[in-house]
Amino acid sequence: MIAPGELRAESFARYPPQARSFAVANLPALQRMPLILVALVLRQAIQYDWCFPREQEQLSRQLDLLGRMDAASFDALMAPFSAIQLSAELGGLDWVSEPQQFSEQLTAYLWSQHQIDRYHEAAQEYQQALQKALAEKTVTTPRWTIVTVGQGIPQTELPLFRRLLPHGTLFTNVDPSDGLEVLLAEIGSRAQQYPLEYGHWYIEGGESHAGSKGVQGLTVMSYARLVPAAKREFALLNQFTNRAGGGGKVGVEAVSSYIAGLNPDDLGLKGTSADNVLRHFEVNVLTQGAGCQIYSTTFVQWAARECLHRAQPLTLFARFANRQRSAPMEQLLARDPLQQPQDPEGSLTDADMGAYYTWINQSRLAGADQSRFLVWFEGHGVVCAVSPTLAQGTTSTASATMRQVLDWMR
Amino acid sequence: MPRYQKTVVVTFGGGARDEETFAPEGQENIPHLMKELIPQATFFTQVVNRGILGHYVATASLATGIYERFDNFADVAPENPTVFEYFRKGLGRPVNDTWVIAPSNGFNRIGQSAGGTFAPGFGARVVLPKHLLAAALGKTSTNPSGLEFLLQDNYEDVLFTPPSVQNEIQLSKLTEMLHLSADDFTHHAQTLSSADELSVYVMHHLMRQFAPSLLWITLHDMDVAHTGAYSLYIEGIRRTDRLCAEIWQMIESDPEYKSRTTMLILPDFGRDSDFSPSGNGFQHHRTGDPLSRTTWMMALGPHIRQNRTVDRALDSVDLVPTLGAMMNFPTPLAKGRPILEVL
Repeated sequence: MIAPGELRAESFARYPPQARSFAVANLPALQRMPLILVALVLRQAIQYDWCFPREQEQLSRQLDLLGRMDAASFDALMAPFSAIQLSAELGGLDWVSEPQQFSEQLTAYLWSQHQIDRYHEAAQEYQQALQKALAEKTVTTPRWTIVTVGQGIPQTELPLFRRLLPHGTLFTNVDPSDGLEVLLAEIGSRAQQYPLEYGHWYIEGGESHAGSKGVQGLTVMSYARLVPAAKREFALLNQFTNRAGGGGKVGVEAVSSYIAGLNPDDLGLKGTSADNVLRHFEVNVLTQGAGCQIYSTTFVQWAARECLHRAQPLTLFARFANRQRSAPMEQLLARDPLQQPQDPEGSLTDADMGAYYTWINQSRLAGADQSRFLVWFEGHGVVCAVSPTLAQGTTSTASATMRQVLDWMR
Repeated sequence: MPRYQKTVVVTFGGGARDEETFAPEGQENIPHLMKELIPQATFFTQVVNRGILGHYVATASLATGIYERFDNFADVAPENPTVFEYFRKGLGRPVNDTWVIAPSNGFNRIGQSAGGTFAPGFGARVVLPKHLLAAALGKTSTNPSGLEFLLQDNYEDVLFTPPSVQNEIQLSKLTEMLHLSADDFTHHAQTLSSADELSVYVMHHLMRQFAPSLLWITLHDMDVAHTGAYSLYIEGIRRTDRLCAEIWQMIESDPEYKSRTTMLILPDFGRDSDFSPSGNGFQHHRTGDPLSRTTWMMALGPHIRQNRTVDRALDSVDLVPTLGAMMNFPTPLAKGRPILEVL
């Protein structure tokens, strides 16, 4: 295979149109990178047509910066990657057209050669240098993330929101009536007030709430709608392993590569060209998120993580629902998760942790110190709110409405 | 050290983090370890695994004392001699004096190294209880309905076809050796709630029948964390906590083991930190961050100082030379250093 310095416009002939244009426009920067990094950049660039606007912007800014760097600064930034020795076998892979497969082989190689820590250090240094150089724009308005847990659970003995409490105020006497409607109205209002493509999201662990339909500017994703696609994914994988295995075994890398190559059409996800980016995102969630095909709680947590990481929305509403009970994996992979007995207590524990992870993921984004986060035990009076306007690590037993809590967070 | 001492090694082939175990907020999940075992144990707070964080390859590294480099999902034996080979060759012990009870994902090759030059044929017998149950379900007259939950195999990549099983001991041979019918085995399985309980049940039979001097069991239930369901991960930890106490009770109530057995308990590694951006917290162990590499070890036995905590960092590969020093057999190719606090 070619070395990065030998990249030409024709090298990207198999890329989708926007990805090809992007790669060609940034060819000088790509040619200067060490193989290990250029392959990782291309893994993202090849998806350019289906990236969210924020991702496209970040990728462009990254390569603009590299293209403008003088030789000494550039070489210094690349040095940790250049120092990692790669095998001839890796260099022989088609890392231009198949960067995802290269990445999988690279990871296995780095682990086997005990170089994974070195690689992580190099990646972190690179990321920090980028962040420093490309100081994030301040967000137009503080981000809001709202999470609800315990949908349909009448009561619990679980001590909820313990991990979040040190960062916010725990309200224990909030009037739960019309709480959901108030929160949905807040989401809708923000979507109208701060119009931004893929800037406002609602991720639902069951059927999406009727109140979300027709809300302008709100991207809606629900587990119930994606279950058929997850089942289709398993069916395709079975076909693949049976076909490729021929009675023998199929390597985990081959399975991973096959999964990574699935697209919305493969999984039966229909839509218009206008929501093509969302359909690809849904495929990524289903194919890259372990467990989110079978457990709705995992689905909401992982989708919220990916949404925050990739789309970097101004508003996210993540609503956990009950997941099916645990079962042998072969049953979990074969049955309809929406038609099974549920595990409410387990789901609440999952969602409690999922809410905490969602807060952590929001905290990684620009403007974190001004971000707002609210988690509610749905249908009950317990709310934990994190906001620069509220005290940390305190509990309020005063009666309040959901609307008041939101107002106190502003 | 007395000549006939025995050692039981309990590893968790599903990493557990401090946060869900020995950190203050995790201690509610391990009441047996905290209240029953720690007061009798020397507890090492830091055991660092510098190798590949996959369960089979990491457990194999624990067993060889060298960080093995093979593909975690490959159907291969450890490259370097195992502690079982060192033990049997060094002390001239018969085949039934060392056994491994392991989850079924790939562990079937862990008893004997692939090298073949150091001690060919001196490996341990390996039992994969889930494979035995699967075989029993095919043979027994009992209605197998409802036992499939004990057959859960690989949580790490549920879509991966497990490797073929070649080397582990077969059902008919084991049931004959243990004087246990396939029907008995299946009937008992019906009273259990997890695959790890099945492993402990098999372990109990092995102890009664052969009283092996070096017994190694790997528990796996907590690796359900890979599905992302935190509640199931916690459930797995709590069950493992209970099973560790049961194993110690089995040792203490068996005249062949009582007062002559050292038990070592250690997870193979941890899981990713909540704050590592490239990971997803407890769900996986892919980042190689310090939390995923650092775990603990507990040692109990008649010659182990009780109620002591050791904070210096150990290395995972210290286990094999320590076992060798404890039981008086050489481990010439193993890396690491004997852990003086247990000798």
